Amino acid sequence: MALNLQRRAFLKTVMGTAAAISASGPLVPAYAASDAATIGWPNDVPTWDPNQRFTPDAQPIFKAVYDQPLDQDPQLKLIPHLIKAWNLAPDALSMAVELRDDVTFHNGDKLTTEDFRYTFLERNKSGLKLDIANSMRKVQDIVIESPTKATMKFNSPAPTMPQWMAFLGSYVVPKKYMESQSLDNFLKKPIGSGPYKLAEYELNSRIVLERNDNYWGPKAKVARVTIEIIKDPSARVAAIQSGQADLTVNVPVREVERFQSEGALAGEINPITRVILVHARADLAFADKNVRLAAHHAIDKAALSKAFYGGAAVPLSVLATPGTPGYLPDFTFKYDPALAKELLGKSNFSPANPVKIGFATTNGQFPNDYDIARAIVQMWKQVGIDADLQVIEYAKYFELNRGAKLPEATLYSWDNATGDPEIFSGYQLNPKMPFSPWKDEDIGNRVLALFNVADYEKRIAGYKELERYAVENGASIPLLQSVVTVVRKKDLTYTRYGNGWVLPQTLQWS
Amino acid sequence: MIAIVLALIARRLLAAIPILLVVSALLFCALRLLPVDPAAMSLPPNATIEEIETKRHEMGLDRPLPEQYVIWLKGALHGDFGRSIALRRDAGSLVANTLPVTIQLAVAAMILAAVLGIGGGLLLFHLRGTLLEAVADFVSILLLSIPEFLWGLILLFVFGVTLRVLPFTGEVAPNLPIPHVTDFLLLDSLIVGRFDVFASAIAHLILPALALGLAFSPAIMRVLRSSLFDVYHEDYIQQARLRGLSERQVLLGHAFKNASLPTLTLAGVQFGILFSGTLLVEVIYSYPGMGNLMVDAVRNADLPLIQAIGLTYCVVVLIINTMVDSLYVVLNPKLRVR
Repeated sequence: MALNLQRRAFLKTVMGTAAAISASGPLVPAYAASDAATIGWPNDVPTWDPNQRFTPDAQPIFKAVYDQPLDQDPQLKLIPHLIKAWNLAPDALSMAVELRDDVTFHNGDKLTTEDFRYTFLERNKSGLKLDIANSMRKVQDIVIESPTKATMKFNSPAPTMPQWMAFLGSYVVPKKYMESQSLDNFLKKPIGSGPYKLAEYELNSRIVLERNDNYWGPKAKVARVTIEIIKDPSARVAAIQSGQADLTVNVPVREVERFQSEGALAGEINPITRVILVHARADLAFADKNVRLAAHHAIDKAALSKAFYGGAAVPLSVLATPGTPGYLPDFTFKYDPALAKELLGKSNFSPANPVKIGFATTNGQFPNDYDIARAIVQMWKQVGIDADLQVIEYAKYFELNRGAKLPEATLYSWDNATGDPEIFSGYQLNPKMPFSPWKDEDIGNRVLALFNVADYEKRIAGYKELERYAVENGASIPLLQSVVTVVRKKDLTYTRYGNGWVLPQTLQWS
Repeated sequence: MIAIVLALIARRLLAAIPILLVVSALLFCALRLLPVDPAAMSLPPNATIEEIETKRHEMGLDRPLPEQYVIWLKGALHGDFGRSIALRRDAGSLVANTLPVTIQLAVAAMILAAVLGIGGGLLLFHLRGTLLEAVADFVSILLLSIPEFLWGLILLFVFGVTLRVLPFTGEVAPNLPIPHVTDFLLLDSLIVGRFDVFASAIAHLILPALALGLAFSPAIMRVLRSSLFDVYHEDYIQQARLRGLSERQVLLGHAFKNASLPTLTLAGVQFGILFSGTLLVEVIYSYPGMGNLMVDAVRNADLPLIQAIGLTYCVVVLIINTMVDSLYVVLNPKLRVR
């Protein structure tokens, strides 16, 4: 009897709790309302100081909360934003800017050239070790002429400064607000001037954005956007499939194809301004140009695209993506395993007597990176290149490169939202920068010379020539234009950008 | 009894000091052997060699390893675990913010594991000698072979995607706020009187806790059954039957109490393992706990954060073991004899 009573009491308690939970609302709430949207996003922001870390994946979130001096249209053309007019001097040693006079931060403070100077000069000299200090290292001074007019002075030509005004880390922060409190307090309650205010933030969990109704520009259509940080791709697929997210990005290509065929959700595989390449060293076994060129000719890029990106990733012959200023549509580096064998033969290598190289790759840094590397190893094996594949963490890449400890080849992905060739091949081949393991005087001098060319047309022509030269000499092995995948509810639209941005402020329910 | 328990806790606390020192030293040295440079990683990718050297000096990385350890230890004793390289925030506060989330998940998972394990163990024992025993045995072995992350995915697709009855991303529904009082969400939502948040948090907790619970319950199940087999050979069981007690009374009133002691020991060990099992489950369910943070820290080779989290895991396991041992003293009269 006693047991029965306990069991009854237990059942009553369980049922009572269940009833209370059901009464408080549905377990899986209805997320899709016309004024709210939930996005499944793969990464959290590294910090809410937008000047501190260059993290490409965080840019769309930063662009919702903060404003950049310049912006890009969906075709990636530079357009006015906070800066309504700019004039880069012919020698690229200064740039005059004129700011809008109707911009306020979320706390009501007016955005002026004081904030501009603080962001791009004063903060960088304060010893905070911001990433932006490196992109703005040429900025010698910013002379304020009025609350809306200023001139940036550079210590050496800065021809890509306009591009940088719309690129990584270049977000104007409020001087008065930041100086009135500690950085830690700012990070807890960040304030920008963007189309959304940060309403709530839970580390590694979610970011809640609420529309800034006082925004100077076009108002966001969706009042409240919740960004759920869902790191696992399978969980992102599940979230969109179950309706717990209205839009998600970077899900596996095969899943997008499944969604496309099922028809209930809209799935897109969008090529973006990100290149997948094999970085080469100029020494070790790759000191031999025949080996480098053979390694390039042996890679069937179309097959890689078909196998890993549903054929949507465009095979590349230069370090630039279609539609960007440095792209060479008429230049093709052909896939030719027979020629690869012939080149290796000239250096006395063959499938029976292969040249041995090291090949580093990340695993999970970008979609299918490790699988692509394994496929390349097999392609190389066919022609007489025996590659020892080793997995490295992306975080270790720069350290290994600094110590000249990378192997002959490294699979790499490079994101350039601006599309400017300096930030493609200029950065990737510059021996003084940390990105490329290629250290060679010939290419190095060509790149360094281009960094000082102020004239836009000459600069672009120079990069086109450099890209062709680098590929023909085996200094660079471009593979594919990367893709971003987007799956969304059919009635939720967004503006598609050539660099893959999915901006909360462009979301709209139909 | 209280005096014995307190003495036990005091002994454990004293023993914890050398254990923590050894663990922290091992952790520190092991991480320093990795081919990563915390100074270089603290700076932007295009930092110059001079800037890196300056940073290395600032961080004390140019000093001998024992000296570096002492510097770190001094900081840690004052609650300063250094700054996260990737997140540029105080590593100690990051751990403090995420630890309650993981504790809440682990406790919920342990409760489920105990309920399922004890229920399953009693059922297995009850089915002994019947045709269903082999089937039940097979099922328990099958359950034992499925790791927690696989349970995570299975449950997510069954209850989240196919049946759509439970949410599986985050701690609470996107349209609800997260109150912060103690950082234990269930408790906080009750403190601030938000029962809708409480209900949503429970709903979000069910699948990750179940994934962990299901992975750890089979071991409890099997140990309990074995213990019951052993206990049933004891004389007092026969005497209880001779006293006319029913089989249920014998099982629940006499056998279970004694058989639960080895099960409790196992549960204590399991809880430590379960705590570390939260890593992948938190990632799958986007649960913002310490496991999720650890995965990021490892991915970014964020040494200060890995050290802080690693040491916290160690402390938590030590505390759990002390609690289990104390409970063991309470439940087992033999251990109360001085």
